[in-house]
Amino acid sequence: MAESTKESAPSPYAAMFEGFRKDLDEHHDRRDKIAKASKDITASSKKMQVGLLMCKSLSPKDEKAKNQHYEAIANQYKSIKSDLEALNTFRYANNITGGNQEFVEAISFEHYLRTQLLITYADASARISKMGDAGGFAELSPEDYMLGILDLTGELMKYAIGGIARDHKLPAGEPSKYTRRVKAASKQQTEHEAMDIDREAHASAYSWPTPGPDGRVRNILDDLRQLRLQLEMFEAPRDTRFASDFEKKMIVMRESVEKVEKSAYSLKVRGSERPKGQLDMGEDRSVAVESY
Amino acid sequence: MSASNGMFSPEIFQDLQARVDRDVKVREELKDITQELEKNVRVVSFALSKAHSTPVSELSSVLEAAEKPIQKVVESVGKLSASASPLPYYKFNDMWSRKMQDATYGVLLWAWLGGKNEAGDTTNGRLLTIDEVGSILNVPVNLKDEDKFHLTIEEYLQAIISLVEELSRLARNSVTLGDYARPLLISKFVKDLLAGFQVLNLKNDNLRRRSDGLKYRVKDVEDVVYDLALRNLIPKPT
Repeated sequence: MAESTKESAPSPYAAMFEGFRKDLDEHHDRRDKIAKASKDITASSKKMQVGLLMCKSLSPKDEKAKNQHYEAIANQYKSIKSDLEALNTFRYANNITGGNQEFVEAISFEHYLRTQLLITYADASARISKMGDAGGFAELSPEDYMLGILDLTGELMKYAIGGIARDHKLPAGEPSKYTRRVKAASKQQTEHEAMDIDREAHASAYSWPTPGPDGRVRNILDDLRQLRLQLEMFEAPRDTRFASDFEKKMIVMRESVEKVEKSAYSLKVRGSERPKGQLDMGEDRSVAVESY
Repeated sequence: MSASNGMFSPEIFQDLQARVDRDVKVREELKDITQELEKNVRVVSFALSKAHSTPVSELSSVLEAAEKPIQKVVESVGKLSASASPLPYYKFNDMWSRKMQDATYGVLLWAWLGGKNEAGDTTNGRLLTIDEVGSILNVPVNLKDEDKFHLTIEEYLQAIISLVEELSRLARNSVTLGDYARPLLISKFVKDLLAGFQVLNLKNDNLRRRSDGLKYRVKDVEDVVYDLALRNLIPKPT
């Protein structure tokens, strides 16, 4: 490259580019750090989901395991708090979106197992803010919430099929807990604030829903169908990255709902021709889910 | 919320739809402004492209013809800045980043060709700093804390790459016009810029991909200089 002595003279723009290098390096370091945190949040959230799939209802032991992951996730969010402030709030949205979506999936699943309700956007958002130890931090975008909820349908599908294998019925509410349910209804609005405080009390305050006017308790398939209906109505803005992610996940979501419908069908048709004991593959099923 | 009737209230999704729609509306409003900017930037390129067929001695008319379009670009940038400043910068910057690059490039080329600086002097072959571009376009540059509209260093660097690409073409066309001195000026200039880019630690992104092409543009210019040297056409310094 250097053909003569003239070429090897320092570029008159050297100082200017040195300045740019410093700024770009800072930007890249921040981006890498956030992407790494996002990956760790994803990994911990996945572990949380696997743990949740195993439990029929949240026992103290499950709570402990879940809290470990929760803590790991909180630490990750804390570590990138200062990198996602002010001007940079949206700068790394593409780098954190994976972690946010997976975490929404995990907490919405947990919320569902606890209450058989869908966590609201405000509640999910508040939980992430809380993890950064400050309000307004790492704002959860409506898009990340939607994509996380789409993923939730996959977890619900696995949970429903696990429930069918274990109990020969679709997981559903328990009318016997009707009274506790009523007590909980008033607390519902402030639910997200109770998140870290007194988990035990929180867990017992919620229970499965009451029978509807027709005397039937809604089961997980009813919930999946309601979710599907609303998601189908949602209009993602055209020609955006969100729209293409949304469409892809919609396809998977429809498949999930149909898988549960097929299982419910099999349960009805084949379940009636065999004694219950023969269908009992609870052991096998739980192993399969674990290795997933 | 009547949770006992269902897993959730449909309001959850109505609210989300409203939020998403709000952003769509913001984008639609910005679109008119960015399209106007894009159009005005194109007029500048059109005016300056005559430099390829104009000898240096007559270049001042080309530069003057570009001044009005540049003023229009500055106006568009002003409008954009006013509309976009209250918005979170990085939420919407994909809408204008490319246009700001092209606007910057237009100003850089104009100045390199000899466009007047603030003192009214003309200098051939100068590179405007990012601050100078900012003061011409009347926008802040390289903001780090304040969340408002500005010119980023990435946009400025992208504009420099466009400038090098254009100058490699100008080097050949200068020779066609019988100007054997300008390729030497261009050669030194683009080599200095290439050296500058080599200082940067670029990651796998747009800037990296485009800057990888710089060395080929520099080589194009070197080939022109080589052809001239081989035939003894390079003017002797007097």
